[in-house]
Amino acid sequence: MNSIKVTDPSAIVFVCHECDALQQVSQVEPGNDATCIRCHNRLFRNPKGGLDKPLALIISAMILFIISNAFPIMTLTILGIEQSATISDTALIFIQRGSPEVAAIVWLPSVLIPGLMISGLFYILLSIRFQLDLPFTRPILKLLTHLTPWGMMDVFFLGILVSLVKLVALADMALDMGFYAFLLLILVYTAALASIDTHTLWEGLKPQSNNLPEVEHG
Amino acid sequence: MAKAVLNAKDYNLAGCHTCGQVVDMLNHTHAVCPRCDSEVHYRKLDSINRAWAFLIAAFVMYIPANTEPMMRTTALGSESGDTIISGVLYFLSHGDWHLAVVIFAASVMLPLLKMMAIAYILISVQRGATDRKAENTRLYRLAELLGKWSMLDIFVVGLMAALVQLGSLTSIAPGPACIAFAAVVILTMFAEMALDPKLIWDQTEDKNE
Repeated sequence: MNSIKVTDPSAIVFVCHECDALQQVSQVEPGNDATCIRCHNRLFRNPKGGLDKPLALIISAMILFIISNAFPIMTLTILGIEQSATISDTALIFIQRGSPEVAAIVWLPSVLIPGLMISGLFYILLSIRFQLDLPFTRPILKLLTHLTPWGMMDVFFLGILVSLVKLVALADMALDMGFYAFLLLILVYTAALASIDTHTLWEGLKPQSNNLPEVEHG
Repeated sequence: MAKAVLNAKDYNLAGCHTCGQVVDMLNHTHAVCPRCDSEVHYRKLDSINRAWAFLIAAFVMYIPANTEPMMRTTALGSESGDTIISGVLYFLSHGDWHLAVVIFAASVMLPLLKMMAIAYILISVQRGATDRKAENTRLYRLAELLGKWSMLDIFVVGLMAALVQLGSLTSIAPGPACIAFAAVVILTMFAEMALDPKLIWDQTEDKNE
Protein backbone atom coordinates (compact mmCIF):
# COMPACT_ATOMS: atom_id res chain seq x y z
CA MET A 1 0.00 0.00 0.00
CA ASN A 2 1.06 3.53 -0.66
CA SER A 3 1.84 5.78 2.22
CA ILE A 4 2.22 9.50 2.59
CA LYS A 5 5.38 10.96 4.00
CA VAL A 6 4.53 13.64 6.52
CA THR A 7 7.49 15.98 6.74
CA ASP A 8 5.89 18.62 8.95
CA PRO A 9 4.33 17.18 12.12
CA SER A 10 1.97 20.16 12.60
CA ALA A 11 0.66 19.86 9.05
CA ILE A 12 -2.90 18.77 8.25
CA VAL A 13 -3.61 16.36 5.41
CA PHE A 14 -6.03 17.86 2.92
CA VAL A 15 -7.79 16.66 -0.20
CA CYS A 16 -8.67 19.48 -2.59
CA HIS A 17 -12.42 19.25 -3.21
CA GLU A 18 -12.00 20.54 -6.76
CA CYS A 19 -9.06 18.55 -8.11
CA ASP A 20 -8.52 15.72 -5.57
CA ALA A 21 -4.88 16.70 -4.98
CA LEU A 22 -3.57 15.13 -1.79
CA GLN A 23 -1.43 17.55 0.15
CA GLN A 24 -0.26 18.53 3.57
CA VAL A 25 -0.91 22.05 4.67
CA SER A 26 1.14 23.71 7.38
CA GLN A 27 -0.39 26.25 9.73
CA VAL A 28 -1.50 29.42 7.99
CA GLU A 29 -0.90 32.92 9.36
CA PRO A 30 -4.11 34.63 10.59
CA GLY A 31 -5.78 36.51 7.73
CA ASN A 32 -4.33 34.21 5.07
CA ASP A 33 -5.76 31.41 2.98
CA ALA A 34 -4.35 27.96 2.26
CA THR A 35 -4.63 27.26 -1.45
CA CYS A 36 -4.39 24.01 -3.37
CA ILE A 37 -0.91 23.34 -4.75
CA ARG A 38 -2.37 22.18 -8.07
CA CYS A 39 -5.54 24.13 -8.93
CA HIS A 40 -5.14 27.05 -6.48
CA ASN A 41 -8.61 26.49 -5.06
CA ARG A 42 -8.96 27.80 -1.48
CA LEU A 43 -8.68 24.85 0.92
CA PHE A 44 -9.34 26.76 4.09
CA ARG A 45 -8.65 30.13 5.61
CA ASN A 46 -7.40 31.32 8.93
CA PRO A 47 -9.50 34.44 9.60
CA LYS A 48 -8.26 37.11 11.95
CA GLY A 49 -10.09 37.54 15.22
CA GLY A 50 -11.11 33.97 15.98
CA LEU A 51 -14.80 33.32 16.54
CA ASP A 52 -15.69 36.60 18.27
CA LYS A 53 -15.68 38.61 15.05
CA PRO A 54 -18.02 36.32 13.08
CA LEU A 55 -20.29 35.99 16.11
CA ALA A 56 -20.58 39.78 16.44
CA LEU A 57 -21.22 40.13 12.69
CA ILE A 58 -23.86 37.39 12.70
CA ILE A 59 -25.70 39.01 15.63
CA SER A 60 -25.70 42.31 13.71
CA ALA A 61 -26.94 40.45 10.64
CA MET A 62 -29.81 38.95 12.68
CA ILE A 63 -30.96 42.39 13.83
CA LEU A 64 -30.65 43.85 10.32
CA PHE A 65 -32.48 40.84 8.87
CA ILE A 66 -35.46 41.48 11.13
CA ILE A 67 -35.51 45.22 10.37
CA SER A 68 -35.15 44.76 6.60
CA ASN A 69 -38.01 42.26 6.51
CA ALA A 70 -40.33 44.12 8.86
CA PHE A 71 -40.22 47.48 7.08
CA PRO A 72 -41.07 48.35 3.47
CA ILE A 73 -38.10 48.71 1.11
CA MET A 74 -39.65 51.42 -1.05
CA THR A 75 -42.78 53.43 -1.68
CA LEU A 76 -44.25 54.39 -5.04
CA THR A 77 -46.52 57.41 -5.36
CA ILE A 78 -48.49 57.84 -8.57
CA LEU A 79 -51.61 60.03 -8.99
CA GLY A 80 -51.77 60.46 -5.23
CA ILE A 81 -51.93 56.72 -4.59
CA GLU A 82 -49.19 55.37 -2.33
CA GLN A 83 -48.00 51.79 -2.54
CA SER A 84 -45.13 50.39 -0.50
CA ALA A 85 -43.65 46.91 -0.61
CA THR A 86 -41.64 44.76 1.75
CA ILE A 87 -39.33 42.01 0.49
CA SER A 88 -41.96 39.34 1.17
CA ASP A 89 -44.61 41.39 -0.71
CA THR A 90 -42.82 40.55 -3.95
CA ALA A 91 -43.50 36.87 -3.26
CA LEU A 92 -47.03 37.54 -1.99
CA ILE A 93 -47.97 39.21 -5.27
CA PHE A 94 -47.16 36.00 -7.15
CA ILE A 95 -49.50 34.05 -4.84
CA GLN A 96 -52.28 36.61 -5.43
CA ARG A 97 -51.79 36.37 -9.18
CA GLY A 98 -52.11 32.61 -9.07
CA SER A 99 -48.52 31.36 -9.32
CA PRO A 100 -47.49 30.07 -5.87
CA GLU A 101 -44.54 28.16 -7.40
CA VAL A 102 -42.95 31.42 -8.59
CA ALA A 103 -43.74 32.91 -5.18
CA ALA A 104 -41.71 30.14 -3.56
CA ILE A 105 -38.85 30.65 -6.01
CA VAL A 106 -38.73 34.35 -5.07
CA TRP A 107 -39.28 33.98 -1.34
CA LEU A 108 -36.91 31.06 -0.61
CA PRO A 109 -33.62 32.62 -1.86
CA SER A 110 -34.44 36.15 -0.69
CA VAL A 111 -35.95 35.52 2.76
CA LEU A 112 -36.14 31.96 4.04
CA ILE A 113 -32.69 30.63 3.08
CA PRO A 114 -30.76 33.76 4.24
CA GLY A 115 -32.82 33.64 7.45
CA LEU A 116 -31.93 30.00 8.01
CA MET A 117 -28.26 30.67 7.20
CA ILE A 118 -28.01 33.56 9.66
CA SER A 119 -29.84 31.88 12.53
CA GLY A 120 -28.09 28.55 11.88
CA LEU A 121 -24.62 30.11 11.85
CA PHE A 122 -25.49 32.02 15.04
CA TYR A 123 -26.48 28.76 16.73
CA ILE A 124 -23.32 26.95 15.62
CA LEU A 125 -20.95 29.82 16.47
CA LEU A 126 -22.60 30.15 19.89
CA SER A 127 -22.17 26.44 20.50
CA ILE A 128 -18.47 26.39 19.57
CA ARG A 129 -17.44 29.75 21.05
CA PHE A 130 -18.90 29.07 24.50
CA GLN A 131 -18.44 25.29 24.37
CA LEU A 132 -22.15 24.76 24.96
CA ASP A 133 -22.27 21.51 23.01
CA LEU A 134 -25.78 22.35 21.73
CA PRO A 135 -27.78 19.58 20.05
CA PHE A 136 -28.06 19.06 16.26
CA THR A 137 -25.16 21.37 15.41
CA ARG A 138 -23.63 18.96 12.88
CA PRO A 139 -26.84 18.25 10.90
CA ILE A 140 -27.49 22.01 10.92
CA LEU A 141 -24.04 22.84 9.54
CA LYS A 142 -24.49 20.10 6.94
CA LEU A 143 -27.82 21.67 5.92
CA LEU A 144 -26.26 25.14 5.77
CA THR A 145 -23.47 23.85 3.53
CA HIS A 146 -26.07 22.63 1.04
CA LEU A 147 -28.14 25.83 1.34
CA THR A 148 -25.26 28.29 0.80
CA PRO A 149 -25.47 28.50 -3.03
CA TRP A 150 -29.24 29.10 -2.86
CA GLY A 151 -29.11 32.31 -0.85
CA MET A 152 -29.55 35.25 -3.24
CA MET A 153 -29.91 38.43 -1.20
CA ASP A 154 -27.31 40.22 -3.30
CA VAL A 155 -29.16 39.39 -6.53
CA PHE A 156 -32.38 40.60 -4.93
CA PHE A 157 -30.68 43.86 -4.00
CA LEU A 158 -29.62 44.41 -7.61
CA GLY A 159 -33.26 43.68 -8.50
CA ILE A 160 -34.36 46.48 -6.17
CA LEU A 161 -31.96 48.89 -7.90
CA VAL A 162 -33.11 47.86 -11.38
CA SER A 163 -36.82 48.22 -10.54
CA LEU A 164 -36.06 51.55 -8.90
CA VAL A 165 -34.46 52.84 -12.12
CA LYS A 166 -37.36 51.42 -14.15
CA LEU A 167 -40.07 52.99 -11.98
CA VAL A 168 -38.43 56.33 -11.25
CA ALA A 169 -39.32 57.42 -14.80
CA LEU A 170 -43.01 56.72 -14.20
CA ALA A 171 -43.69 57.69 -10.61
CA ASP A 172 -42.31 59.24 -7.45
CA MET A 173 -40.13 56.72 -5.68
CA ALA A 174 -39.02 56.89 -2.06
CA LEU A 175 -36.59 54.55 -0.34
CA ASP A 176 -37.67 53.31 3.07
CA MET A 177 -36.07 51.92 6.20
CA GLY A 178 -36.14 48.37 4.80
CA PHE A 179 -33.91 49.37 1.88
CA TYR A 180 -31.11 50.77 4.06
CA ALA A 181 -31.35 47.89 6.51
CA PHE A 182 -31.16 45.43 3.60
CA LEU A 183 -28.08 47.15 2.14
CA LEU A 184 -26.35 47.03 5.53
CA LEU A 185 -27.46 43.43 5.99
CA ILE A 186 -25.78 42.34 2.75
CA LEU A 187 -22.52 44.10 3.73
CA VAL A 188 -22.52 42.64 7.26
CA TYR A 189 -23.55 39.17 6.08
CA THR A 190 -20.82 39.10 3.40
CA ALA A 191 -18.26 40.19 6.00
CA ALA A 192 -19.56 37.49 8.37
CA LEU A 193 -19.23 34.74 5.75
CA ALA A 194 -15.73 35.97 4.88
CA SER A 195 -14.68 35.76 8.53
CA ILE A 196 -15.96 32.20 8.96
CA ASP A 197 -13.93 29.20 7.91
CA THR A 198 -16.04 26.06 7.49
CA HIS A 199 -13.03 23.87 8.25
CA THR A 200 -12.70 25.56 11.67
CA LEU A 201 -16.44 25.10 12.28
CA TRP A 202 -16.30 21.39 11.45
CA GLU A 203 -13.24 20.92 13.63
CA GLY A 204 -15.05 22.77 16.44
CA LEU A 205 -18.06 20.46 16.11
CA LYS A 206 -16.04 17.26 15.89
CA PRO A 207 -17.53 14.63 18.17
CA GLN A 208 -15.27 14.33 21.19
CA SER A 209 -16.65 11.04 22.50
CA ASN A 210 -16.01 8.56 19.69
CA ASN A 211 -12.58 8.23 18.20
CA LEU A 212 -12.30 9.27 14.60
CA PRO A 213 -10.41 6.94 12.33
CA GLU A 214 -7.21 8.85 11.71
CA VAL A 215 -5.50 8.77 8.36
CA GLU A 216 -2.43 6.57 8.54
CA HIS A 217 0.82 8.37 7.85
CA GLY A 218 3.87 6.36 6.95
CA MET B 1 6.32 19.71 -11.89
CA ALA B 2 2.68 18.70 -12.08
CA LYS B 3 3.76 15.07 -11.80
CA ALA B 4 4.66 15.59 -8.15
CA VAL B 5 1.02 16.18 -7.20
CA LEU B 6 -0.75 13.05 -6.02
CA ASN B 7 -4.41 12.20 -6.35
CA ALA B 8 -6.09 11.24 -3.08
CA LYS B 9 -7.90 8.44 -4.92
CA ASP B 10 -4.60 6.68 -5.64
CA TYR B 11 -4.00 6.50 -1.90
CA ASN B 12 -7.50 5.16 -1.16
CA LEU B 13 -8.45 8.47 0.36
CA ALA B 14 -11.38 10.71 -0.45
CA GLY B 15 -12.41 14.16 0.70
CA CYS B 16 -15.99 14.40 1.98
CA HIS B 17 -18.06 16.45 -0.50
CA THR B 18 -19.88 18.19 2.33
CA CYS B 19 -17.29 18.97 4.98
CA GLY B 20 -13.92 18.14 3.41
CA GLN B 21 -12.95 15.50 5.96
CA VAL B 22 -10.30 13.12 4.59
CA VAL B 23 -11.82 9.64 4.73
CA ASP B 24 -10.00 6.32 4.43
CA MET B 25 -11.71 4.43 1.60
CA LEU B 26 -9.54 1.30 1.58
CA ASN B 27 -11.66 -1.67 0.42
CA HIS B 28 -14.76 0.54 0.14
CA THR B 29 -16.49 2.21 -2.79
CA HIS B 30 -18.42 4.42 -0.44
CA ALA B 31 -18.18 5.28 3.23
CA VAL B 32 -19.92 7.47 5.77
CA CYS B 33 -18.08 10.62 6.80
CA PRO B 34 -17.17 10.39 10.50
CA ARG B 35 -17.47 14.15 10.90
CA CYS B 36 -20.74 15.08 9.16
CA ASP B 37 -22.44 11.71 8.42
CA SER B 38 -22.60 12.36 4.66
CA GLU B 39 -22.00 9.57 2.20
CA VAL B 40 -18.49 9.76 0.82
CA HIS B 41 -17.50 8.61 -2.66
CA TYR B 42 -14.29 8.99 -4.61
CA ARG B 43 -16.22 10.93 -7.26
CA LYS B 44 -19.77 12.24 -7.39
CA LEU B 45 -21.97 9.35 -8.54
CA ASP B 46 -22.96 9.25 -12.20
CA SER B 47 -21.63 12.79 -12.48
CA ILE B 48 -21.47 13.15 -16.27
CA ASN B 49 -24.89 11.65 -17.04
CA ARG B 50 -26.66 13.65 -14.36
CA ALA B 51 -24.94 16.86 -15.40
CA TRP B 52 -25.94 16.34 -19.06
CA ALA B 53 -29.55 15.57 -18.06
CA PHE B 54 -29.88 18.78 -16.04
CA LEU B 55 -28.08 20.76 -18.72
CA ILE B 56 -30.34 19.57 -21.56
CA ALA B 57 -33.45 20.24 -19.43
CA ALA B 58 -32.11 23.73 -18.69
CA PHE B 59 -31.53 24.38 -22.37
CA VAL B 60 -35.09 23.31 -23.22
CA MET B 61 -36.48 25.69 -20.58
CA TYR B 62 -34.25 28.51 -21.89
CA ILE B 63 -36.44 28.71 -25.03
CA PRO B 64 -39.82 29.55 -23.38
CA ALA B 65 -37.91 31.72 -20.89
CA ASN B 66 -36.99 33.99 -23.78
CA THR B 67 -40.01 33.70 -26.06
CA GLU B 68 -42.83 33.88 -23.50
CA PRO B 69 -43.75 37.16 -21.78
CA MET B 70 -42.00 37.80 -18.47
CA MET B 71 -44.41 40.51 -17.41
CA ARG B 72 -48.01 41.39 -18.32
CA THR B 73 -48.90 45.04 -18.05
CA THR B 74 -52.54 46.06 -17.95
CA ALA B 75 -53.10 49.75 -18.59
CA LEU B 76 -56.68 51.06 -18.87
CA GLY B 77 -58.05 47.69 -19.81
CA SER B 78 -55.57 46.82 -22.56
CA GLU B 79 -53.05 44.10 -21.84
CA SER B 80 -49.52 43.82 -23.21
CA GLY B 81 -46.82 41.24 -22.62
CA ASP B 82 -43.11 41.91 -22.36
CA THR B 83 -40.43 39.33 -23.05
CA ILE B 84 -36.88 39.80 -21.80
CA ILE B 85 -35.69 40.91 -25.23
CA SER B 86 -38.56 43.35 -25.79
CA GLY B 87 -37.78 44.84 -22.37
CA VAL B 88 -34.11 45.21 -23.31
CA LEU B 89 -35.05 46.82 -26.66
CA TYR B 90 -37.45 49.18 -24.89
CA PHE B 91 -34.68 50.47 -22.64
CA LEU B 92 -32.26 50.76 -25.56
CA SER B 93 -34.74 52.87 -27.53
CA HIS B 94 -35.25 55.12 -24.52
CA GLY B 95 -31.53 55.67 -24.06
CA ASP B 96 -31.29 53.64 -20.83
CA TRP B 97 -28.48 51.57 -22.29
CA HIS B 98 -26.89 50.72 -18.92
CA LEU B 99 -30.14 49.16 -17.71
CA ALA B 100 -30.45 47.31 -21.03
CA VAL B 101 -26.91 45.96 -20.59
CA VAL B 102 -27.54 44.78 -17.00
CA ILE B 103 -30.75 42.95 -17.94
CA PHE B 104 -29.34 41.49 -21.15
CA ALA B 105 -26.17 40.28 -19.40
CA ALA B 106 -27.97 38.73 -16.41
CA SER B 107 -30.94 37.21 -18.22
CA VAL B 108 -29.78 36.32 -21.73
CA MET B 109 -25.99 36.05 -21.75
CA LEU B 110 -25.23 34.55 -18.33
CA PRO B 111 -27.48 31.46 -18.54
CA LEU B 112 -26.27 30.78 -22.08
CA LEU B 113 -22.61 31.19 -21.14
CA LYS B 114 -23.05 29.02 -18.06
CA MET B 115 -24.68 26.23 -20.09
CA MET B 116 -21.93 26.47 -22.71
CA ALA B 117 -19.23 26.38 -20.04
CA ILE B 118 -20.67 23.25 -18.42
CA ALA B 119 -21.15 21.57 -21.81
CA TYR B 120 -17.54 22.44 -22.74
CA ILE B 121 -16.18 20.93 -19.51
CA LEU B 122 -18.34 17.81 -19.93
CA ILE B 123 -17.14 17.29 -23.52
CA SER B 124 -13.50 17.85 -22.49
CA VAL B 125 -13.84 15.26 -19.71
CA GLN B 126 -15.57 12.74 -21.99
CA ARG B 127 -12.93 13.18 -24.69
CA GLY B 128 -10.26 12.57 -22.06
CA ALA B 129 -8.58 15.93 -22.63
CA THR B 130 -5.31 16.18 -20.77
CA ASP B 131 -4.66 19.87 -21.39
CA ARG B 132 -6.37 23.03 -20.12
CA LYS B 133 -7.15 21.47 -16.74
CA ALA B 134 -6.48 24.64 -14.79
CA GLU B 135 -8.50 26.69 -17.30
CA ASN B 136 -11.45 24.30 -17.13
CA THR B 137 -11.39 24.39 -13.33
CA ARG B 138 -11.42 28.19 -13.46
CA LEU B 139 -14.32 28.04 -15.93
CA TYR B 140 -16.21 25.74 -13.54
CA ARG B 141 -15.63 28.12 -10.64
CA LEU B 142 -16.83 31.07 -12.73
CA ALA B 143 -20.01 29.20 -13.74
CA GLU B 144 -20.59 28.37 -10.07
CA LEU B 145 -20.17 32.01 -9.06
CA LEU B 146 -22.25 33.74 -11.72
CA GLY B 147 -25.26 31.45 -12.22
CA LYS B 148 -27.49 32.91 -9.52
CA TRP B 149 -27.45 36.42 -11.06
CA SER B 150 -29.89 35.20 -13.73
CA MET B 151 -32.62 35.34 -11.07
CA LEU B 152 -32.44 39.13 -11.37
CA ASP B 153 -35.37 39.64 -13.71
CA ILE B 154 -37.76 37.47 -11.70
CA PHE B 155 -37.06 39.60 -8.62
CA VAL B 156 -37.55 42.76 -10.70
CA VAL B 157 -40.93 41.53 -11.97
CA GLY B 158 -42.01 40.70 -8.41
CA LEU B 159 -40.98 44.12 -7.15
CA MET B 160 -42.69 45.93 -10.04
CA ALA B 161 -45.87 43.89 -9.62
CA ALA B 162 -45.93 44.52 -5.87
CA LEU B 163 -45.46 48.27 -6.30
CA VAL B 164 -47.58 49.04 -9.35
CA GLN B 165 -51.08 48.20 -8.15
CA LEU B 166 -53.47 50.91 -9.20
CA GLY B 167 -56.57 48.80 -9.42
CA SER B 168 -58.20 48.92 -12.86
CA LEU B 169 -55.88 51.73 -13.96
CA THR B 170 -52.54 49.95 -14.23
CA SER B 171 -51.28 46.67 -12.90
CA ILE B 172 -48.33 44.43 -13.58
CA ALA B 173 -48.60 40.65 -13.40
CA PRO B 174 -45.89 38.00 -13.77
CA GLY B 175 -45.92 36.12 -17.08
CA PRO B 176 -45.27 32.44 -17.88
CA ALA B 177 -41.59 33.10 -18.62
CA CYS B 178 -40.96 33.60 -14.88
CA ILE B 179 -41.29 29.91 -14.03
CA ALA B 180 -39.28 28.93 -17.12
CA PHE B 181 -36.54 31.34 -16.13
CA ALA B 182 -36.44 30.05 -12.58
CA ALA B 183 -36.23 26.53 -14.01
CA VAL B 184 -33.20 27.54 -16.12
CA VAL B 185 -31.41 28.94 -13.06
CA ILE B 186 -32.24 25.95 -10.85
CA LEU B 187 -31.43 23.34 -13.50
CA THR B 188 -28.08 24.93 -14.40
CA MET B 189 -27.22 25.05 -10.69
CA PHE B 190 -28.11 21.34 -10.41
CA ALA B 191 -25.99 20.61 -13.50
CA GLU B 192 -23.02 22.46 -12.04
CA MET B 193 -23.46 20.66 -8.68
CA ALA B 194 -23.73 17.26 -10.40
CA LEU B 195 -20.54 17.88 -12.35
CA ASP B 196 -17.53 16.75 -10.35
CA PRO B 197 -14.56 19.03 -11.12
CA LYS B 198 -12.22 16.26 -9.96
CA LEU B 199 -13.01 14.46 -13.23
CA ILE B 200 -11.13 17.23 -15.05
CA TRP B 201 -7.95 16.18 -13.25
CA ASP B 202 -8.49 12.44 -13.57
CA GLN B 203 -7.11 12.35 -17.12
CA THR B 204 -3.48 11.39 -16.75
CA GLU B 205 -0.70 12.87 -18.85
CA ASP B 206 1.67 9.92 -18.46
CA LYS B 207 0.41 8.22 -21.65
CA ASN B 208 3.12 9.93 -23.65
CA GLU B 209 5.92 9.19 -21.22
